[in-house]
Amino acid sequence: MSDLQLEIKTLIIDALGLEDMAAEDIAADLTLFGEGLGLDSVDALELGLAIQKRFGIKIDAEAKDTRKHFANVASLAAFVSSQQTA
Amino acid sequence: MACLGSWPGQHGRLVRLVDAGQQPDVSALPAMQRRRLSRLARMAFHVAWPLAEARPQLPMVFASRHGETPRTLGILTDLAHNEPLSPTQFSLSVHNAIIGLWSIQRGDHSEMTALAGAGDGLENAVLEACGLLHDGAPAVLLVIAEEAPPELYAPFIDDVPFPYAVGLLLTLGDDWQLQLNRGDGASSEWPHALNLVRALCSDQPTLQHHWKSRQWTWSRNEA
Repeated sequence: MSDLQLEIKTLIIDALGLEDMAAEDIAADLTLFGEGLGLDSVDALELGLAIQKRFGIKIDAEAKDTRKHFANVASLAAFVSSQQTA
Repeated sequence: MACLGSWPGQHGRLVRLVDAGQQPDVSALPAMQRRRLSRLARMAFHVAWPLAEARPQLPMVFASRHGETPRTLGILTDLAHNEPLSPTQFSLSVHNAIIGLWSIQRGDHSEMTALAGAGDGLENAVLEACGLLHDGAPAVLLVIAEEAPPELYAPFIDDVPFPYAVGLLLTLGDDWQLQLNRGDGASSEWPHALNLVRALCSDQPTLQHHWKSRQWTWSRNEA
């Protein structure tokens, strides 16, 4: 697990108030929304905001790839690093 | 309404509770569902849950004069600092958010109402509940809940000595009467909903509450 993935897992837990959950409970390939972790549309907005604040990047909610980037922790980490180096 | 024998009766000494930031236990709910419940919501759920057991369809009247003052202040503070607003906080900032969460988590689509009724919110909520009963509801869940105001608001809120929640399950019957007259009098020092609980748990035959020029009289009918 990369440091960035761990940071994103902790961010998800803190920003979304996931009581009783630890970073190791969220596998990097666990689906975040709907199935898997079971997050909903309000969580999507909240997580988007938290990611933008923490990593200083812009997320276009309308872009068609955004949904793919938010699929799981691994895809989010890949997205964040690509934006930071961009 | 069930009363615990150990509760102080009419002549019991009143104890002002200390708010040490405790959170009511709502562990009956899965963690994913608990996470959006503020303390006010947890208090409301905590008193309401046992009353709703075995009643999957239960209309509800929720009354809170001040609502979620800590959340409101948090959102306003973010606004004042030009910070983006938390979508979660914003979505929960309306007065009927708690009954919305209740409805979702219980899968109950019954009619539910959230009121903020000045100093006689309890009586107005009872009036609303009676309307639902006479409309055919077999029972109505009534929840009165107040959260301790944040320090900034404290000088303006003098009727919440500590956070509290009262849950009542109302059905049609002849046990009690509630009457509204024009009249002045001192409003009680103790949260009025708690006075009602004490009256219900004792033999106290009547109870009066004043707000503005409204005089509410509760009286127990002779058996």
